[in-house]
Amino acid sequence: MKIAVMSCIHGNYEALNAVLSDIDDQNADKVYCLGDLVGYGPHPNAVVEMIRALDIPTCQGCWDEDIVEGLNSCECSYPSVLAEKRGKVAHDWTNQVIHPEVREYLAQLPLSLRDDNLCFVHGSPHNQHEYLMPEVDAFVAMERVLATGADILFCGHTHVPYVRSLDVGQLQIRVKLTGKSEPQNTSFSAPLKRIVNAGSVGEPRHGRPNATYVIYDNDTDQITLREVEYDYQKTCAAIIENGLPPVFAWRLSKGLEYAERADDPTHVCER
Amino acid sequence: MTNWAILSGIEGNLAAYEAVLADIKRQRQPIEELYILGDAIAAIPESTNVIQRIRSPRPDEPVPQVCQGWWEEQLLILHGLGRTGEPTELIERYGIEMVKTLWDAIPREMVEWVRSLDFGLFELDCLLIHGSSVDVGDELTPDTPAIQMLDRLMRMDANMLFCGRSGLTFQYEIQQGSVTSSITTLDQVTTPQAILVKPRQVIGVGNIGRIPGQATYTLYNPYTNHIEFRTVRYGSGKGFQPLKDKLFPPLNNRLMT
Amino acid sequence: MPSLNITLVSGPPGAGKTTWIRQQISSAAETAVYLNLGSGNTPNDFRRACAIDPTYLAAEVAGLTVLPVEQLTDFLAHPLAGSAVYVELGFHIDLTSLILPDQMADCQRVAVLPPGTRHTEWHGWADLVVTGVETGAVLSQPHLWRSVLSGQVLDLASLNTFWYELTHGAYGTVQRAKGIFDVADGRSLHFDFVTGLAEATYLELNLPRWLNGRPDRFSGIEVVGEALEQEAIAQTIKECCLNDQAIAYYQQQIKDSLDPGDEVA
Repeated sequence: MKIAVMSCIHGNYEALNAVLSDIDDQNADKVYCLGDLVGYGPHPNAVVEMIRALDIPTCQGCWDEDIVEGLNSCECSYPSVLAEKRGKVAHDWTNQVIHPEVREYLAQLPLSLRDDNLCFVHGSPHNQHEYLMPEVDAFVAMERVLATGADILFCGHTHVPYVRSLDVGQLQIRVKLTGKSEPQNTSFSAPLKRIVNAGSVGEPRHGRPNATYVIYDNDTDQITLREVEYDYQKTCAAIIENGLPPVFAWRLSKGLEYAERADDPTHVCER
Repeated sequence: MTNWAILSGIEGNLAAYEAVLADIKRQRQPIEELYILGDAIAAIPESTNVIQRIRSPRPDEPVPQVCQGWWEEQLLILHGLGRTGEPTELIERYGIEMVKTLWDAIPREMVEWVRSLDFGLFELDCLLIHGSSVDVGDELTPDTPAIQMLDRLMRMDANMLFCGRSGLTFQYEIQQGSVTSSITTLDQVTTPQAILVKPRQVIGVGNIGRIPGQATYTLYNPYTNHIEFRTVRYGSGKGFQPLKDKLFPPLNNRLMT
Repeated sequence: MPSLNITLVSGPPGAGKTTWIRQQISSAAETAVYLNLGSGNTPNDFRRACAIDPTYLAAEVAGLTVLPVEQLTDFLAHPLAGSAVYVELGFHIDLTSLILPDQMADCQRVAVLPPGTRHTEWHGWADLVVTGVETGAVLSQPHLWRSVLSGQVLDLASLNTFWYELTHGAYGTVQRAKGIFDVADGRSLHFDFVTGLAEATYLELNLPRWLNGRPDRFSGIEVVGEALEQEAIAQTIKECCLNDQAIAYYQQQIKDSLDPGDEVA
């Protein structure tokens, strides 16, 4: 069975359409979505309506949460004051145009989804805001997969797709309790675990404007990273027409994230 | 040469704290640093005396360095100064009455001091914290999975993590480990790389005030890396079975068995 | 009257005028005086004039005297004996209509031009043509935009994002951009961009950290390009700036972390 996984659509309806067509062409049997349906892009309502119409199982992203809860992210989740100001502009715009039923739909999205030995989250199993970058320490990455009990963890949030395989993990520990008892030696081992980042449909950041998503074939155990061309100029024009900051359009056309990312990708706000 | 005393969970028990201070003074190697990893207070009025005692060390005592614990966090939440608005965890654990009990136990003027405390302390390569780098309520025990322990250490890039949430004394050493990692992106495939773990430790520092008559704490020498757990018996509890405190059930039942 | 050793330096934006002057001053034993014509009317009043090059040279070259334009007449009447005087002309100054004081009549005229430049008005004007650096395509309608930012403190992460966008075409075609910015940790940074040249990072100016409120020293930006979206540039810079509260917070943090010996302003 082929399972398509996509993430971070960010109100980019053109890109979503192109990816859905590509998923059809690839004969995928099932589709999952890892959230961030809205934010930054010009068509938040249309994107959510499409996802609902197709009944695509979706988990909640940080933008979806913010639109429901009110802007909750603290300044430390923004890497710069410029990114924060731009993020607020995008948030306020989205908040104004979003339909009540769309907001309700976003509110009831689960934080994670399970399908057999697969787990789906937006950022990381611990937090929607955590970036699981490919350079995150291998043991930290392994902890994130093990925390779910799954073999493959699908995540998004970073907007750059990758597959990371973590194999033959092992740890030797020695535990000593107060005084009396002898130290206990234990070893721990984990078979192959994988993290699959689905990239971003609507706000790619791999340096090209094309949309990205992934396909997992559980018969062959193969994971394919897909890159799909679409008419990004249309989205750029809509960004400007709707009064969103023109620099968002420029960044989209360059395959840059609208707002740059925090220096410390594993930093999670405690607030 | 520096020696540290690290303790947690006085929980308003001044007699226990005095007994431990006396034990610290009795050490052959003088103790230069004293770390208190939270829960100096509990929901009892006696907590006020403990705060006063902590804030006024005698000339022959090290000046305590204190971070917030679970009780301190609950107090700050009640005063609208916490990281979350609702005292959900307090109520779930102890019932709704505890909100008033805790509120009444600690006078307002003490709250500012509690607020001034750090969440954790970082000295040399050591993280000193009540729960863990994840949360003040994160309870690390000898049974915590190794990968989780490693995660807590690596979040702050600490080689040693001293914590007090479980109330237990334990030395948990991650001696070695490895994993093979490979990454495929749109533009390249990296060949599998073996990643090794450098040895790191998590230390449960014990608990001072929860069990009447018996306090446990930890001595540490950061240069030799030597750990020593101390058990101090004091006052009326000496020689008796620990008494169960009805109002404050122990957070970890293992302690009582 | 003592004879003056004066050099006038002209050339298109980004060709390397300031760099060439800096090299001359550094390699000469004598003291040097620098004057910039075209960077504003009153360069010593840094609140109004854009003084990127004078500020950069004064911070980076020891023993250099930067002369404000309105002191030129006084200086020519009582020059410092034996010092070399370099006068940099902005690219937008019309060489044919430039009227110089009599004392400067027999100065040396140097044009710093990109490699391969032929038959320009600079060739007719200059005594010496220096080959500078490639500045990319010559713009048909070069436009200069500048803004004085003195007193503003920028967030460095924001500034880096803005500078990347500016120099990669987000706000029009930029041929040349330079700026001096005060950032949150008290440093004054010199950013420099010329189309086609390898991307350089910023240079930290040799000035004391400013850790007491809004800096009372020059900072500003100058952009040469085509179809520049000036409003968007100005707006983005504004969004990179910190408010008083944030400035005080960061300055306190830096003060707490500095050694007593560190030089601060």
